Amino acid sequence: MTAFIVHRIWQALLVMLVMSILVFAGVFLIGNPVDVLISPDATQEIRQQVIAQYGLDLPIWQQYLHFMTSLLQGDFGRSFVYNMPVSELVASRFPATMELATIAVLLASVIGIPLGVYAGYRPDGWPSKIIMAVSILGFSVPTFWIGLMMIVVFAVEIGIMPAGGRGDVVSIFGMPWSFLTIDGLHHLVLPAVNLSLFKMAMMIRLAASGTREIMLTDTIKFARAAGISELTILRRHVLRLISIPLVTVFGLELGSTIAFAVVTETIFSWPGLGKLIIDSITSLDRPVMVAYLMLVSLLFITINLAVDLAYAVLDPRMRQRGGK
Amino acid sequence: MTAPLLKVTDLHTHFETRAGTVKAVDGVSFHLNRGEVLGLVGESGSGKSITGFSIIGLIDKPGRITHGSITIEGRELVGLGDGLRHVRGREISMVFQDPMMTLNPVLTILDQMTMALRAHESISDADARIRCVEALRQVRIVDPEQKIDFYPHEFSGGMRQRVAIAIALLHRPKVIIADEPTTALDVSVQAEILVEVKALVAELGISLIWISHDLATVASISNRIAVMRYGKIVETGPAAEVLGAPAHPYTRMLLDALPSRSRPGQLLGLDAGDKQASEMRIAHRPVQSQSGFVTVKHAVKRFEWPTSFCSRLGTRMNLVKPRSAVLAVNDVTFSIARGEALGLVGESGSGKSTLGRMVCGIYHPTEGDIKIDGASVISTGQQGRKLTTRVQMIFQDPFASLDPRRTVGQSIAEGPVAHGLTTRAGARGYVAKWLEAVSLDPAVADRYPHQFSGGQRQRIAIARALAMRPDVIVCDEPVASLDVSIQAQILNLLLTLRNELGLTLLFISHDLSVVRHLCDRIVVMYRGRIVEEGPAESIFETPKQPYTRMLLDAIPRLASEEPVLEEA
Repeated sequence: MTAFIVHRIWQALLVMLVMSILVFAGVFLIGNPVDVLISPDATQEIRQQVIAQYGLDLPIWQQYLHFMTSLLQGDFGRSFVYNMPVSELVASRFPATMELATIAVLLASVIGIPLGVYAGYRPDGWPSKIIMAVSILGFSVPTFWIGLMMIVVFAVEIGIMPAGGRGDVVSIFGMPWSFLTIDGLHHLVLPAVNLSLFKMAMMIRLAASGTREIMLTDTIKFARAAGISELTILRRHVLRLISIPLVTVFGLELGSTIAFAVVTETIFSWPGLGKLIIDSITSLDRPVMVAYLMLVSLLFITINLAVDLAYAVLDPRMRQRGGK
Repeated sequence: MTAPLLKVTDLHTHFETRAGTVKAVDGVSFHLNRGEVLGLVGESGSGKSITGFSIIGLIDKPGRITHGSITIEGRELVGLGDGLRHVRGREISMVFQDPMMTLNPVLTILDQMTMALRAHESISDADARIRCVEALRQVRIVDPEQKIDFYPHEFSGGMRQRVAIAIALLHRPKVIIADEPTTALDVSVQAEILVEVKALVAELGISLIWISHDLATVASISNRIAVMRYGKIVETGPAAEVLGAPAHPYTRMLLDALPSRSRPGQLLGLDAGDKQASEMRIAHRPVQSQSGFVTVKHAVKRFEWPTSFCSRLGTRMNLVKPRSAVLAVNDVTFSIARGEALGLVGESGSGKSTLGRMVCGIYHPTEGDIKIDGASVISTGQQGRKLTTRVQMIFQDPFASLDPRRTVGQSIAEGPVAHGLTTRAGARGYVAKWLEAVSLDPAVADRYPHQFSGGQRQRIAIARALAMRPDVIVCDEPVASLDVSIQAQILNLLLTLRNELGLTLLFISHDLSVVRHLCDRIVVMYRGRIVEEGPAESIFETPKQPYTRMLLDAIPRLASEEPVLEEA
């Protein structure tokens, strides 16, 4: 197990290094931030001064080295636009996205998996057919449209839900969190549900097909032959066996939700990372873009590692293969 | 005599499908006395397993019992619905064929046994553990206190089947239904399990229904035998009677199809008149004197784990133990004469399949060389390519070895066209010729593999191998997944083809009676090494090595005397 983790951390470092080069080069290609930062009527002198101030006159590899050395010291640089350290900027936005994404994915799992298991257990019943039909809707109807409809119905027409914002927040470890206050939760409901629909549909389909397949195996027949009740079979046998693919999807989805919750955040004016990155792209705020992309790759690598470790917990056969 | 424990009367289990009603079980009646072992024999599709599942009430949809009655101690089970759950495991329990598939791979043995215990009684964790350890000890699992926390994959096949039996025995049921419980196991393990089950049945006074396609295992354990065909019982009676003097022609046909009951080299399942004719033909076997046609010298196959930079680093830093290489074939030397049939025998894990694949040029030998007629089978270097088409292979599972998306004609023609044995234009006629050689209608060339039965698919696989005009054919368990009657046909086909085409065969099998029937010489493998080698006769009559003797003793035999287990 230790070897496996050492191996993965080593891999992760390599991926991060490659990522940093790609990100840096990619961002460099998008455009020159100077055009955005300085008003067009500024003198050539001021232009040169600003360019030198941000180190934009150096060749790209020097800029990269400069960036890496400060990165290793924990410094992501300063945002061109907000003129504050990027790390502070990200830290102020990160919790909003984190809680939104986590709650959305948890919601998708807690509702989606039981529905899926039920649909897989009784595939011919009418409730299952409804569940499966609705799950197709969840896939195919665009998220932004559902979000807008939710605002129209719940916020505008009925008026029981707020249309946007985070509501009251509580500060823990210097970061603001909404989910600990009633008002915050109230604001969280609509965007979280909106964000979870697609993932819920995916969980339902995955759980349903897994359950269907496993219900036909001899493992289940043997359990039934021993007189074990159907509920125990579903809870102990089926859930354990389908958990492996589900955990994979859960991990990947958590990562992609955190990274790409942009649409939902925009519709519900949720002040998260998604909005930040969109703003930074339009204003060519390079340090923010780079920091964001690095953060996202770190997030994916961490989640993947966590998923692999979860495999080892869930499937004893993996434990042996990985060496003890 | 008291009333029978279990009574099945006029049972009909039908499957309503779109294509019509399949009468899987069609009017079956039998009874089971206390402490009795009833063998239920039949080929695939005979309805023997469905009969077992009907009793325990676990028929897959859309099957259902349409008519008939099943009673245990006078209580009716048909129509009990969910109430049957309280019977399952407590009064009737079941053991399945493949213990790898029946035990849940992600739960410990203790978890699974406790679950089965709690299905019918509430018990504390500590008591459950004691009971489970006791149950494992009863099925002769060594060191049950430790083993109980193992996962299924940490057990061997035989051990897993013992665990399954232990679970079936937990509540001291009155009846156990065993559906092909030893089919997936090695002969030696099968022999152990048979002995243990017999002892348990006698000790606990349990009644057993033993479902199998294998007459010999059924004969060695059963008091009475029922032979099934097309959903009906064609013959039933005391084991000795049914096997000694079969009344029904189907039973006779099944017995005649067994290689162990006829003389080696003879065509199977023929009447006396035909037998003479076939012996005449077999006698004409071309005697080839060229020995050492296929030579294997000091062949070694080691399967190593790919090592990456990191794992090497880890090994050096003492963080990881290097994964040990698997030595599948360890310094094996033998030769086959031209036109000879060599049997390669061993249990699973003995390296016999790996050796076969090396001879066929599929695997590259780690060390040593393999030659056919003086020419290497595979080029040198670890990434060597196969150099010859003179050796071809037939695999155990023809369904897996045929491309499901191509017609069988395309599959057969592919190799010959690629190697210029025929042209694309002439492929049809070429394929037709080889399909005829394996007694199939040439018109079937346009069909897809799923449209054939198992036996027909194996014929197609043989035709495909033959179409490459090989001198040597490596057969890897070609009849292991076939019914006895089909197995007899394929064996007959191989015998005939071998004589007509002068083929050299390397025949790999775990089934000694099949090997003896077909082969001139036998090589016995154990853990990657050859332990004994010699003419088929002498290996069978006077085995020298204890391992060979053990293998031979483990084969269940059709004795004409009384089965060992007497009625109490």
